[in-house]
Amino acid sequence: MDEIKNEAKCPMHEVRRIPNDGTPLCPSPTFAIWREEGAATPLDYSDGHEGLIINRYELAKLVLEDKRFSQSPARMPAHHGEELSAQYGLSSGSELDLGNVLGLDGEQHARIRRTILNRFSVRSARGYESDIKAIVAKQLEHLRSQPTPVDLTKHYAQPISAAGHIRVLGIPEQFRDEYSKLFVGDSTTDKKIEFIRRVLDVKKNLLAEDVLSDLLRTDLIVPEIEGLSLSLFVSGRDSVAYMIATCMTALLNNPDQLKALRDDPTLIMGGMEEFMRVGAMFLTLFPRTATEDLELAGVHINAGQSVSVSPVAANHDPAQFPDPDRFDLSRDAFGHVGFGHGIHGCVGQQVARVEIREAVMQLINGIPDIYLVHAEQNEPGPFAHPVATYEAGEVIVGWN
Amino acid sequence: MKIRVDREACIGAGQCALVAGSIFDQDDEGLVVLLDENPSDDFVAFARKAATLCPAKAIALDE
Repeated sequence: MDEIKNEAKCPMHEVRRIPNDGTPLCPSPTFAIWREEGAATPLDYSDGHEGLIINRYELAKLVLEDKRFSQSPARMPAHHGEELSAQYGLSSGSELDLGNVLGLDGEQHARIRRTILNRFSVRSARGYESDIKAIVAKQLEHLRSQPTPVDLTKHYAQPISAAGHIRVLGIPEQFRDEYSKLFVGDSTTDKKIEFIRRVLDVKKNLLAEDVLSDLLRTDLIVPEIEGLSLSLFVSGRDSVAYMIATCMTALLNNPDQLKALRDDPTLIMGGMEEFMRVGAMFLTLFPRTATEDLELAGVHINAGQSVSVSPVAANHDPAQFPDPDRFDLSRDAFGHVGFGHGIHGCVGQQVARVEIREAVMQLINGIPDIYLVHAEQNEPGPFAHPVATYEAGEVIVGWN
Repeated sequence: MKIRVDREACIGAGQCALVAGSIFDQDDEGLVVLLDENPSDDFVAFARKAATLCPAKAIALDE
């Protein structure tokens, strides 16, 4: 691992990179140091830009709610560790960017996002509950049939995440295996787009009550439909698997919390928010760039300057969450920015809550003597691209 | 207390329906619907929480 060092590019301006010595459940101490220094501190970007990272909760929310920031230009925070990929976010570099909700601003963003809201409402998420319960139950049976020790991420978290996406989006059955393979691990955007085109071609003759059917019924133009599909096929696919693996690691690291949850299953409703607070996947969200000079919470941001909100830092701000390093399922963790916040906040978050909750509860109840052998979630690891996010590493468990 | 919602601003995140489902719902477009504009005292705290959590600042409380 690289030594964490601050690189001064300009004598007046100390510039930094995102530290890679934290773990998904234990942030790098650097974030606390930066948060003490200020609501925002300088951050180096991969294209040489000198922008900011937002460390404090109050400013994080103000930035994410402020429409005077743009998702453009596409640039990335620099971080320690691997070299950056040139690919930015979900951008395909083509006309499909017209449907890339994470890259759009204003009216075009709102128009695209509104076409899918209905399938991700709280009410819709409740409607998926029985199907998700069945998906999880089936995967739990598979897990139990495995010789132990076994990797929970590979045999439980990732298949549940893939099956949940397939169900909610309405990906036809014949594409199940290909989808699971193509959207985990090494693949290229070109291959994904080619796959999406084949899926949509089949789907247009199989319209039902799901996200892809809704998209095909809208008046969106083809590149918008394909671009939005790319966003939806990718987004949350890794994150739900990551969260299931990370939540289980947190519980197995903290037997008192695991016992509390088994004793009182109603703890999961608020506890879900605590999982999202302490296990946030994104070290920073996609950068926002000020479209005019701004003054927010005493911080001056120049027009053209990029800022990156750090959910990991904001979720551990003691001004908002007292004793932030304590994992406590009974605390009021609502308001965390683990799903982002503002108009680009996670569109699938209500469905994700149901999937993660079901996966955790069925597992802790179905395998009462589950124990942790080894979790990569407890060690610093390489970031996943395109922004600095943690990855769903191996979570090796056993039972008697 | 009186609650107002702004459906133009709403982005359908569902935070309000999640924490205060007796006051807020989402319609077939996924957008906020106000079920109770004058919640009883027992529910005021939940309405306030929903307003705080709303990512689009689409909920206003006149107190």
